[in-house]
Amino acid sequence: MSRALVRRETVSGYLFMLPCLIFFLGFVIYPMVQCIVTSFFDSTMNRDDIFIGLGNYAELFQDKIFLGALRNTVIIVIVSVPVVCIFSLWVSSVLYDLSGPLCSLFRCVFYLPVVTGSVAVTVVWKWMFNNYYGIFNYLGKNAGLIDKNINWLGDERFALGCIILILLTTSVGQPIVLYVSALGNVDQALVEAAEVDGATRLQVFWKIKWPQIKPTTLYILVITTINSFQCFALIQLLTSGGPNHSTDTIMYYIYYNAFKLYRYGYGNAMGVVLAIIIAVLSAIQFKASKSD
Amino acid sequence: MKINRHSCYKVIAILIIVIMAIAFAFPLYWIITGSFKTAKAINATTPQWWPSEWVLDNYQKLFSRQSAPLWELKIPLIKAAFRGPKVPAALRWLVNTVFMAVASMLLTCATSAMAGYALAKKRFIGRTVVFSLIVCAMALPKQVILIPLIREMSSLHMYNTIWAVILPIVGWPFGVFLIKQFSEGIPGEMLEAARIDGASEWKTFSTIALPMLKPGIGALAIFTFINSWNDYFMQLIMLSSTENLTISLGIAKLQAENSIDFGLIMAGAAVAAVPIIIVFIIFQKYFTKGITMGAVKG
Amino acid sequence: MRLRRILALAMTGAMVLSAAAVTANAEETTDITLWTYPVGNWGDSAAVDGLIASFEEAHPEIHVSVEYLDYTNGDDQVNTAIEGGEAPDVILEGPERLVANWGAKGVMVDLSDLWTDEAKEAIYDSVEAACQNNDGVFYEYPLCMTAHTMAVNRDLFEAADALQYLDEETHTWTTEGFINAVQALYDYGQENVAAVFCGGQGGDQGTRALVNNLYGGTFTDAEHTKYTADSPENIKALELLAGMDGINFDASIVGGDEINLFVNGTLAMAFCWNVAQEKTNADLVDFDILPMAFPTESGDPQLCGGIWGFGVFDNGDEARIEAAKTFIDFMANDETQVVEAVKVSSYWPVKDLGNIYEGDDLMTEYAAFVQYLGDYYQVVPGWAEARTAWWNMLQQIGSGTDVTTAVAEFSETANAAAAQ
Repeated sequence: MSRALVRRETVSGYLFMLPCLIFFLGFVIYPMVQCIVTSFFDSTMNRDDIFIGLGNYAELFQDKIFLGALRNTVIIVIVSVPVVCIFSLWVSSVLYDLSGPLCSLFRCVFYLPVVTGSVAVTVVWKWMFNNYYGIFNYLGKNAGLIDKNINWLGDERFALGCIILILLTTSVGQPIVLYVSALGNVDQALVEAAEVDGATRLQVFWKIKWPQIKPTTLYILVITTINSFQCFALIQLLTSGGPNHSTDTIMYYIYYNAFKLYRYGYGNAMGVVLAIIIAVLSAIQFKASKSD
Repeated sequence: MKINRHSCYKVIAILIIVIMAIAFAFPLYWIITGSFKTAKAINATTPQWWPSEWVLDNYQKLFSRQSAPLWELKIPLIKAAFRGPKVPAALRWLVNTVFMAVASMLLTCATSAMAGYALAKKRFIGRTVVFSLIVCAMALPKQVILIPLIREMSSLHMYNTIWAVILPIVGWPFGVFLIKQFSEGIPGEMLEAARIDGASEWKTFSTIALPMLKPGIGALAIFTFINSWNDYFMQLIMLSSTENLTISLGIAKLQAENSIDFGLIMAGAAVAAVPIIIVFIIFQKYFTKGITMGAVKG
Repeated sequence: MRLRRILALAMTGAMVLSAAAVTANAEETTDITLWTYPVGNWGDSAAVDGLIASFEEAHPEIHVSVEYLDYTNGDDQVNTAIEGGEAPDVILEGPERLVANWGAKGVMVDLSDLWTDEAKEAIYDSVEAACQNNDGVFYEYPLCMTAHTMAVNRDLFEAADALQYLDEETHTWTTEGFINAVQALYDYGQENVAAVFCGGQGGDQGTRALVNNLYGGTFTDAEHTKYTADSPENIKALELLAGMDGINFDASIVGGDEINLFVNGTLAMAFCWNVAQEKTNADLVDFDILPMAFPTESGDPQLCGGIWGFGVFDNGDEARIEAAKTFIDFMANDETQVVEAVKVSSYWPVKDLGNIYEGDDLMTEYAAFVQYLGDYYQVVPGWAEARTAWWNMLQQIGSGTDVTTAVAEFSETANAAAAQ
């Protein structure tokens, strides 16, 4: 390219980028830089920040609650991502065989919790899990599964499980829509050819369909991972991280440190660590999608 | 024999899916019926599956709680404001939420369309740097930057305004990434031809690229709308006065204040959920199309 | 086309004019914001609007807008607002937040000029002591006070034949009586007798008072410098509670939920109680409520006091700070207004105003508890952290952690915060 052309392209390129860059640099990159900078300070309400180097980070890895929160976050991601993928793939494989209106009816129903919004969904779940007149205790008792009311959200053993369950119901809607359409796009000629050759259904799935829906699966993996990491409303509204920190996630613990303990620098350090973890994960997923 | 086994599996599978579907629809059903139940029916230890008595008490309570002007248009610099008539605060929250979702949708689509096009089709210096920055930032959860963001909004005098929620949503670069993927499909020859014909950069973009990007922008619009409607975190930390709340935040506050008045909370949840569900059902086709579009290109 | 242009012009003109009108108005008045926690009916806009209206009538130059906070998220909301530079001008709460928390953080205005000699003379000494920090700086101007009690469902007690374990006349009972009563109710079939709520802050004074009173422990030392929850008396009390049938350590509810569960008859006792709860819930209750002091071995209960008053956040705007002080002066010192303001809280005044609840049986009944008021200790440094650690500790005990271990962890966290 000629010099003049490069100049022209650069000028016009940046002019086109300008509105976006204002928002992106102003409300994502600038705060991120601020976040990294303050993570090296002891920063609290209404007092000048004190530089403490890596102090916050050193403390972070000795903080039992932080490590617990990290563990809980990882559990949420590890459980919900595969379950969402497998469940939605299975549901879609059944749905796409059905007639059009029926298929879209079910698709709609599974998408309902997504559009209803996490807060509205959460408040009704809170009621259903209620220790004293929740519907789960009623059903459990009537079916003879439990003999005493269980305090679902107030019991260390169950609380995280309940959170994950709710998260699942709000997460599968989009993957189902995606898979149904991905399965619909599978090259039917190939499938028929394989069937003529006497391939079993399982073989057809693995050999023919799976390679074609793999890109969709990768996309679903990425969005579900991001979603699971961001799970905040559920925890803030249902358990506030309790009982006994058993549902603390890093997201909630950052908020907790900032607005209950006034430890801004410390909270920011956590944010940086989390950002690094997520960046590494996305890099791996990105690599995986490139290698195909 | 083989066919039999297969259809047997199919029947069972559909049965399971029907049960799951009921479970998925149940919270919504429970919200709507619950909002019409009496306090006694709601707190009954034996759940009332269908309200024995339909009452509007909960809605009455919800709408008589607090009031706020239906809209408020603030004009910067001269400190003037235009206010709508006084209505129940819950309605104002709906207005705020719609405004927030629509404004972030429009702004995101506009900025992303331009930027995504430029990233895909312009060979400018620093392109790779900008693009890698965008990819890195995409997965970044917003909670990570909450503290600096509050301080920034405060110094811009935007804390406790709806803009404090909108701007970070617009800044989030997923849209740019998406549109860039779509723009790769625009044939370079067409742009080149337009340039040779003497069309300006803007004209090339608006008459040739934009029409081809329409499906992508549609997908992005739906995506942003749902996301910002459901975003709770930014609203929680950025908004504080009753008249600036969004509907999600309003319901969350309602719950904190009247923790076990489930009737009232359900009425609030119904007000929050029903409008968006109606929108969803009307535009269902576009929603599903939009979501799939995003995935295919993303 | 022309018509449209004329219309547009007319619209613009109208907008500019009305904008000018609004601006002209805005210059005359000072706008201040008041955020209130639900102190009695101060959380209810119907009641508060009346008070604000009479203030604005007396001071037309000041306009007050009110926001209502709850005890679950209220603190977070104020904290984010402070960080966002939009803290309220006036806030209504107790010294544990205004003095020990935000006052200590240096974000509040010194109210010494409201504390005239006359005011100091009139306001009870214990209240005066609570409204200032250790250096004598006043961050709160008090309005009302009460004694936090507990309450029992008298009908249920009667049915379970448990009334014999308490003294209805003096509203007191012994630790042994309490144990027997809980057992009697549990045996009667009341699966949930009471809940040690620990889902989050809100009403935590109830759980503290219960634990402290059972065997005569204290929450802090007498000088208000450190937390003493790890004393043998407190450990014994917590072990007792953790082992009792019918008492749940419930991490899924907070004080407000507990009150609701008591009011609708699910629980037989409420630990988070005072006269305002009985007043505001009167319509919902279909049984006899019997307010009680917390059970003790010695027969000398030490009830937790509640003091509520106004504080002013330092927003750097002299005019608004002055207006805020004018507001406080009117609410808490104007002779007729203060009576109304206190009555909205349904608590008692912090100075002698005569009997403002003449002929009100309920208030007379609850007035009996004032004699049991104990030390107002909620001003120890690091209060916000200690309170968070307190409910974490209860959650741990509820999950089966050994009481001594949980208490030791609480003491370490809380005392570290106190020492800072």
